[in-house]
Amino acid sequence: MQLVAYESRSSVNDTQLITRVVAGDAAAERELYETYVDRIYRLTFRLAGDDELARDFTQATFIRAFEKIGGFRGESSLSTWLHSIGLSVTLNGLRKTKRQRNREAPIEEGITVGFARADAEPDLKERLARAIDSLAEKYRTVFVMHDVEGYTHEEISEAMGIPIGTSKSHLFQARGKLRVMLADFAPEWVS
Amino acid sequence: MTEENFEKFLKKTTQTYNVPPVRVPREEMWAAIQAERAAGPRVVYGGGASSPVHERRFGTRVWLGAAAAAMLLIATGVGIGRLTAPKAVPSVAANPSIPQPPVTVTPDQTNSGTASPAQVATTGGESPRQPQHATSNGGQARNTDVSGVERPVAVEIQRASTRSSSAYQLTAMQNLSEAEALLTSFRSRSSADQQMDAQLGTWARQLLTNTRLLLDSPVGDDPQRRPLLQDLELVLVQIVQQLSPGSTPQDRDLIEKTLQQNHVMTRLRTAIPAGAQHGS
Repeated sequence: MQLVAYESRSSVNDTQLITRVVAGDAAAERELYETYVDRIYRLTFRLAGDDELARDFTQATFIRAFEKIGGFRGESSLSTWLHSIGLSVTLNGLRKTKRQRNREAPIEEGITVGFARADAEPDLKERLARAIDSLAEKYRTVFVMHDVEGYTHEEISEAMGIPIGTSKSHLFQARGKLRVMLADFAPEWVS
Repeated sequence: MTEENFEKFLKKTTQTYNVPPVRVPREEMWAAIQAERAAGPRVVYGGGASSPVHERRFGTRVWLGAAAAAMLLIATGVGIGRLTAPKAVPSVAANPSIPQPPVTVTPDQTNSGTASPAQVATTGGESPRQPQHATSNGGQARNTDVSGVERPVAVEIQRASTRSSSAYQLTAMQNLSEAEALLTSFRSRSSADQQMDAQLGTWARQLLTNTRLLLDSPVGDDPQRRPLLQDLELVLVQIVQQLSPGSTPQDRDLIEKTLQQNHVMTRLRTAIPAGAQHGS
């Protein structure tokens, strides 16, 4: 639903908005922020799973966008451009956070990482979250964007800088891996 | 069929994955964005700096470290010079009551045959500094060291004097090189950079102390060096004052005027031998 609302923004509006932002119009900056912040925040939250991280990534996305908007040439839509910055910021930030957490994690915890313990966590919601988290970054990103947040393959391919076919392939791979990992719950979708 | 079912299952269940809060913290994030932007450039998660970082050519630590090292070197040099400097020989003519140390004459100064050993090496008999062998053959005063090797007293004094002189010269060169670097930095500095001003102020104070020490040292007796050191002292005092709180832009003009009128930079560069800046 949100997607439709954002898509309804015309490129003329975006161009005017960008021109005003580049000229240093503070109200235009705020307008740009208000227009896109919800969607960027939602996506970063879905990927990060943490409010604090999602806020950090969203803020960094807009800070970077305001700094670089002078170099925006309009080759893609403003929304796509913002999403590509948002994805770059979020994925880099998550890699960094993951490295830090891995360093800080005690050895005992490190041993158990990657092992699914179905008997200990029978809850579907929990298992599903673990399964999605265990996907490779590129599969997980496409999966979350497409199946969770409802982005189209066109949007995903532009934001991630990959061909549409690759986006579809990643989604197929992601679903296949999830199916294997959630095999315990097969009755849920077979029935 | 199963595939379609699985997709439906996923679409239904994945909505519970990392569910974002209903209320997006717009205002809080906007306030944080504004604060970040007001605070200046920073590193963001996208990799690299968020904007070109205007890096200083030299960091604070480098400046302070260099200044501290220079100060230590100069203080060491002055200290060594003072320790190794021979005691001043009082003039007998000026004050006959002072016990007279042995007066020595080097061979080339000796008018052989006309001066007897007793005449050449006139000893202050009461002096505790009297050499062990006040007179010897050839009309030369000699001294015996611990190893028993006899050395001419005049040669020893000359060597000591040369050593101390070298130490002072080295120290003076170091000080002048540092002064040139400081003046160059001062002239090229930005008046808005308070951090740089603080560093330069510290550096100028150290150099001022060293310059005053040098003025009181034998280097200060050099008729060519003394005026330069005095002019340098004046400039350094002005710089220290200018870099202190409450100074006016006119003070800077005054320094520039002093530098130009007295040709301080030119004289400094002339006084520093080529390569001295990179040397010891």
